[in-house]
Amino acid sequence: MSKAAAMPRSETGRMPAGVRTLLLRPEAPALIFLVLLAIVLAFSAEGFLDPANLEDNIARVVVLGVIALGVNQVVLSGEIDISVGSMLGLCAFAVGAVGESQGGLILPLLAGIGTGVVAGSVNGALVTLGRIPSIIVTLGMLYALRGMILVITGGRWITNIPSDTRALGLQSVAGVSVPVIILVVLLVVVELISRNSTWGRNVFAVGGNRRAARFAGLSAGRTRFLAFVLVGVLTGIAAAIYVGRAGGVQTNAGQGLELQVVAAVVVGGTSISGGRGSSVAAITGAVLIGVILNGLVLLDVPAEWQSAMLGALILLAISTDALRRRLLREQPS
Amino acid sequence: MGLTKRFGGVTAIDGVDFDLLPGEVHALVGENGAGKSTLMKIVHGLYAPDEGRLEVEGRQVTFVSSRDAEAAGVAMIPQELDLFPELSVAENLYVGRHRPRSWWGGLDWTAMRTEARRQFETLGIDIDVTLPARLLSTANRQIVLIARALMGDARAVIMDEPTSSLTEREVQRLFEVIKDLTERGVGVVYVSHRLDEVFTIADRISVLRDGLHIKTAPVSELDSEELVRLMVGRALSELFVRNPHQHGSIALELKGLSRSSEFTDIDLTIHRGEVVGLAGLIGAGRTELAQAVFGIRPVESGEIYIDGERVSFHSPQEAMNRGVVYVPEERQSQGLILPFPIYANITLSILQKIARAGFLNYDRERKTTDRFADALSIRGADVSEPISRLSGGNQQKAMIAKSLACEPSILLLDEPTRGVDVGAKSEIYRLIDQLGQDGKAILLISSELEEVLSMADRVVVMREGRITAEFDRDEATQERVMAAAAGVEEKAGAAEL
Amino acid sequence: MISAAVPRRLKLSRELVLLAILVALVIALSLMSPVFLTISNFLNTSRFFVEIGLVALGMTLIIITGGIDLSVGAGLGLVSVALGFTFKAGLPLPLALFLGVGVGLAGGYFNSLFITKLDLHPLVVTLGTLALYRGLALGLSRADAVSNFPGWFAYFGQFYLGAVPGQLIVFIVAVAIVWVLLARTRYGRYVYAIGNNEQAAHFSGVPVARVKTALYVGTGLLVALAAIIYTSRVSTARADSGTGLELDVISAVVLGGASIYGGSGTIAGTVLGVVIIATLRNGLTLAAVATTYQVLILGLLLIVAVFLNEFFRKTEE
Repeated sequence: MSKAAAMPRSETGRMPAGVRTLLLRPEAPALIFLVLLAIVLAFSAEGFLDPANLEDNIARVVVLGVIALGVNQVVLSGEIDISVGSMLGLCAFAVGAVGESQGGLILPLLAGIGTGVVAGSVNGALVTLGRIPSIIVTLGMLYALRGMILVITGGRWITNIPSDTRALGLQSVAGVSVPVIILVVLLVVVELISRNSTWGRNVFAVGGNRRAARFAGLSAGRTRFLAFVLVGVLTGIAAAIYVGRAGGVQTNAGQGLELQVVAAVVVGGTSISGGRGSSVAAITGAVLIGVILNGLVLLDVPAEWQSAMLGALILLAISTDALRRRLLREQPS
Repeated sequence: MGLTKRFGGVTAIDGVDFDLLPGEVHALVGENGAGKSTLMKIVHGLYAPDEGRLEVEGRQVTFVSSRDAEAAGVAMIPQELDLFPELSVAENLYVGRHRPRSWWGGLDWTAMRTEARRQFETLGIDIDVTLPARLLSTANRQIVLIARALMGDARAVIMDEPTSSLTEREVQRLFEVIKDLTERGVGVVYVSHRLDEVFTIADRISVLRDGLHIKTAPVSELDSEELVRLMVGRALSELFVRNPHQHGSIALELKGLSRSSEFTDIDLTIHRGEVVGLAGLIGAGRTELAQAVFGIRPVESGEIYIDGERVSFHSPQEAMNRGVVYVPEERQSQGLILPFPIYANITLSILQKIARAGFLNYDRERKTTDRFADALSIRGADVSEPISRLSGGNQQKAMIAKSLACEPSILLLDEPTRGVDVGAKSEIYRLIDQLGQDGKAILLISSELEEVLSMADRVVVMREGRITAEFDRDEATQERVMAAAAGVEEKAGAAEL
Repeated sequence: MISAAVPRRLKLSRELVLLAILVALVIALSLMSPVFLTISNFLNTSRFFVEIGLVALGMTLIIITGGIDLSVGAGLGLVSVALGFTFKAGLPLPLALFLGVGVGLAGGYFNSLFITKLDLHPLVVTLGTLALYRGLALGLSRADAVSNFPGWFAYFGQFYLGAVPGQLIVFIVAVAIVWVLLARTRYGRYVYAIGNNEQAAHFSGVPVARVKTALYVGTGLLVALAAIIYTSRVSTARADSGTGLELDVISAVVLGGASIYGGSGTIAGTVLGVVIIATLRNGLTLAAVATTYQVLILGLLLIVAVFLNEFFRKTEE
């Protein structure tokens, strides 16, 4: 059998294959930017490297990052979820309420995750079975869940949470705080699932080319549904960390978080149109957002400007993504 | 292990028999609309035949979906190569099928990659299986689809216009792959217009024409001339006779028009009162050319002159203001707004003229519409009803009416009689003739040779983005046009093996 | 006369259903609060819904073309802050008002740039501008508020013409203008064309990009108007004005029969939707239902409304 006429190895190019592949990964620009930003802030912002400051950062970043891992999967599958802020609040109440009455860690954690699963399933069902656009579903749920918090709690804040319930937020293991450990573990787990399970690959397929996915017989509906459920699970876990850190739950817990999560996902490198991105991108984005917000505070920028910053970042991220896609299309394939 | 398929279908294909033997390359040729793709869609499970039966390896089968077909060993490599851009090559091979698992329940990437590499090795092709599919060239994407088909243990592989975007070398490589397939006992159906390729690669050739099976013969028994004759050769049933008349000055002139991968170096002139037929195969670049002139796509180099004046259109509006109109190929997705009433469709392009100070005027719209409906004999529903109520032919006429309402001087017609019944067709021909009489310059893009030859004053043929031939009305014959479109050289002994 | 493109059967029955819902709602709410069914309450209610209504007019057209604008609430806050704080900084109020209008227009234009030039989906763009505008409003105002407006300013928000609140008249005029635009001018025809088949519209010479830009800019203008009326009504310029406005507005438009996917919708339907939502809000407020509960109901209402819309649309086909 003859070997085919030598084809120019245009696919691998002249750069060492490893380096080129790394640079082409979706999270590369964000990572590079993050490193540069950290360096700049270390020099220009007072107190950036203080242990206390880093501690604060960790709390914010971990909650953001854990939820972003879930929303990342939803975005990869071609949908969106902006209900997570209210979902966190609801889960936090579940964790706090059970913790307050029962104490311990396991039960409150399960309560939080369970609440998240229910909320996520409702989202998923409305999108896949009800065929309602995910923006409408999650926009409606954002408000509905917030209202539900009020209905269930009657406006009461939770303040008396026993310390063992707060373990996930307060403890350290071998000098590393538990939230960070959880984040890393979840990152590894979600990334493994994303890369090594049929569902994980289907998420990319469905988000990348929905029509071809249908023709190949993939169950697009089930794939997307599970993504929404995953958001619920992760939000539940994040809620436990949040409650652990904060020590109490207010009725407006988590308000505005959804914007930070979406920003984290798109800024980190996941494409809003689906099919392209990774869990590392989501975490990078979360860290980046956390650092930026922290940097704003340290540079004495009034807290009110945070939202503007997030909005500008989102617009910047999706614009560069669109330009990148447009440039790629013009290139000879 | 022979594969026999025998069926008849209504309208699209009628009583067609086709069979594929293991290890052979069986080419399927015919004009656009002859029924090739319908036939293959039935074979691949996308359509169900109305009559006749399908047999695989002697057993009768019924396919409900393409997955059934693939499970039975019939795979298709379509013209639009649909891969998942962000997934790696190895993954694309595995989409939708059972993937090897490792000990801990996750996917075994090493096994997947090894298997993928093995597949490509047996095909004799070198592709990095870890690359995301979007980085692959078209030729390589095709190879990936072939490999995917093979992984599914395909016994029959249907290739639909496989070489339409390949370079010479890539075509050679594809042929070697096909040869390899046949050596393994896989049968290949090669659907193509490229007659020179057909003669190189095929063992047998089947010709379809107007939905009928004309002939099947071993390639050694046919030559290109005869093949072309079989494809088109029917008496030119004169649906319409054109009245010859004088041509005026040059209305539209294209010089060196190019747009990267779509068309190159196009020089074309159309005089007032002249109908220029633009013939060619699907993918030759005709539609792209017309759309570029109309302002839908940007032109990269070259010039466009209207009545001697250089123009450049950035939007359809600009083109229409200058008297150029384009009647698109796909009336449902590009030309009509189906839920809109008929009159709203027809007046859509001229609202600025009909509306007084921006206000719509139903009476004027109605009058205009009635005028055109009469002139073009648009029948079937009252003009205030949704246009979806009309038959295909009437919809087509309405779409043309919309363009005529702009009072154009240059018309670019893209497959104006596609999907239209005979009666409406002749009405449209009459219209085109009348327009010519009125001094309009007309570019008629059509894949129906009969149509082009009977309507055009001059026939220009495009192939792969370039103009390959130009004939006056009296020198144009079906064979000559088809030969120029398919790239068959007019020399003796075209067959090579 | 036949208006643009909506099949008449559907339109008539839809509006009848909405009227029926409105009547049922009024009955239910009047049972919940004795104050509800009074003329003065009705007129008072009409004040509140003018802001939602004005913006809903613009949103209707955007949704018909298949787009969406989530930034309207934030835009309102930004305009309010712009006019309030420039006034505080010394700018004469009439000029500040013009500036506010300018800010509204600029916001709409900014949206349209991303949507038409970069071809980005309106969803994410307006999500980003929602954050941006709200942030700008908060940042520029330092979360402060401006309240010492001259007496005549309150006129905008609180005047009466006879017994009818002034804003209602403004609203009615706006409704009339937009209705005429959508149903009787060629721009309205273009809007429906784009929503039903953008490619065919483009091929037919409809100036798609320009129409879309005009819609977002126009909505920006309506947002500015609503901001002025609101600020005058509450006599305070604050950055968090208009929070959650997008929920009410989109719900009203969808309730009114517009398909979230584009291609259909009417001003009459939207007005009815606005009235229903405003009535609902008003009734619940009178019955001492907290805002958060109201929002819960609204959120659920939005989901149900979209679901029913599409469900009936499918059975219609």
